Amino acid sequence: MTSPSLASDHTGAPLPRNVFMDQFSLEPRTQRVWDLNHAVWFTLMGLGGGVFLVGRFLNLTEDLGHWIGIPTIDMISFAAIAVGGMILVADLGRPLQFWRAFANVRTSWISWGAWSDLIFLTVAGLLVLPALRFGGSRPFSGLGWDPDGSNGAGLTLEIIAGIAAMVVMTYAGAVLARPRSIPYWSSLAIPVQFLLSSAAMSVAVVLVIEVIADEPISGGQMVLLAVLAAGLLVALVGHLLTRTDTPGKKESLDGLLRGRYRHVFVGLVLGAGTALPALLGFVGAAVGDLRDALSVICFGLLISGGFLLRLITLRVGIFPPVYIPSNQR
Amino acid sequence: MTRWGMVIDAERCVGCQACTVACKTENQSPHDAWYAPVIEWEAGVYPDATLNYLPTLCNHCEDAPCVTACPSGAIKRRDDGIVIADEDVCIGSRACMAACPYGAINFLENSGTASMPGSSVASQPSVPERYARQQHVPGAISKCTYCAHRIDYGIENGLEVGVHPLATPACVVTCPAECRIFGDLDNPDSNVSRYLEAKGPGEVLRPDAKTSPNTKYVGLP
Repeated sequence: MTSPSLASDHTGAPLPRNVFMDQFSLEPRTQRVWDLNHAVWFTLMGLGGGVFLVGRFLNLTEDLGHWIGIPTIDMISFAAIAVGGMILVADLGRPLQFWRAFANVRTSWISWGAWSDLIFLTVAGLLVLPALRFGGSRPFSGLGWDPDGSNGAGLTLEIIAGIAAMVVMTYAGAVLARPRSIPYWSSLAIPVQFLLSSAAMSVAVVLVIEVIADEPISGGQMVLLAVLAAGLLVALVGHLLTRTDTPGKKESLDGLLRGRYRHVFVGLVLGAGTALPALLGFVGAAVGDLRDALSVICFGLLISGGFLLRLITLRVGIFPPVYIPSNQR
Repeated sequence: MTRWGMVIDAERCVGCQACTVACKTENQSPHDAWYAPVIEWEAGVYPDATLNYLPTLCNHCEDAPCVTACPSGAIKRRDDGIVIADEDVCIGSRACMAACPYGAINFLENSGTASMPGSSVASQPSVPERYARQQHVPGAISKCTYCAHRIDYGIENGLEVGVHPLATPACVVTCPAECRIFGDLDNPDSNVSRYLEAKGPGEVLRPDAKTSPNTKYVGLP
């Protein structure tokens, strides 16, 4: 017996994940191997890598509070990646064999992702270890590097963790974009969208932590948020306007702009989840008094928009027919 | 160098699905896994309407995207061109299913058991059971292997692959219209090479995917 799934075909009809009858049909097929769990995983990985990088990039890691001695920003980053990884493992057909995902580093982006998650958690964990507090003591304070990367060893760990975090943010999009099987996915635009979305979401998370920590938000931080959201908007619109007649992508675009997902995609992803935060970011840069409120609003919009972007991108993954008869080309 | 491949003459297919069933019995695939479906579609308008058939299976691509995408290395391309999946190594990421342009890979969601146990010798001559997989792994993927177990059996026993029924994929052996031809694409004297020479170079499915399939088609509508 097959379990039901939230996936549906490009006409909106719900489909169980493993229904086989469309293997006998010459129609476009909607992918249904990846859905909600993967959207959550993609979002958490993007946030996990992004929050770490943004915190270090803005030099805010040490200023925004600690939990057992470890910067709150880093704890959020680790938690997001750990939870995302567990969701992914649970979604595998054979979860107890998850360790085999590290095997094919030569060609598989999933293997690259698994290694980058592991390297990030290990190296970033090592980096913050000297700051770890148990009661009043710091048992690892003699390790010889600064958790903020201010000495040679600390900086080396920070750079390695930063590179791994960048791969963590990127690889979900690369997994979708690499094969040519699904034309909507098979584009550099998908990893670019995921990367920009992750970066924008992460800046929003850091800004909200600043609000909670009662730290002032600068105009430059609001501009950064706005530019990332605006860049995401350009990447999204650009992808919607290219190769529009390609079999498979045409059906995906129909679903996004005219079909079942038009309200969610146009309204919540493009509008509320991307264009509006860009606009609010620029407003916040100009009006200092509104920054706290606008940061919180942008956080809500970008997180929900980013998650929906990933979920809908998965759901409009459509394989064109394996063969198009000569009289229909 | 041997490069096993199949030529499918779509013009000859009568849509009986005997290949689909022969494959199922030979490979003991679970009830929801189909390695060799025959696609059918209507074209035209009465009185000029036609029913068309397209036998399909794994295309055993030279540049197989499933091999590239698989994180565990469970899917491999053998030196003879056959793309095989090791269900015991598969972790069930389903990356291969998303990567395959042909929908040729099946995810064994719950059922690992055969749909027709004990029936593998009923529909066509079969090789000894030790060569064929009788039990599948739940949570793994499975796919057509060009009946690699029959090819290996044939080579070990000195049988001509693609000609002797025990050394030829089950779908080829069972086809009543002889629309499937199997052999060595790199051997100019093989049955597949001679067929392609007579009928033209052949087409491939989803040429936009640039996978260089070893399954070729002639007589497509």
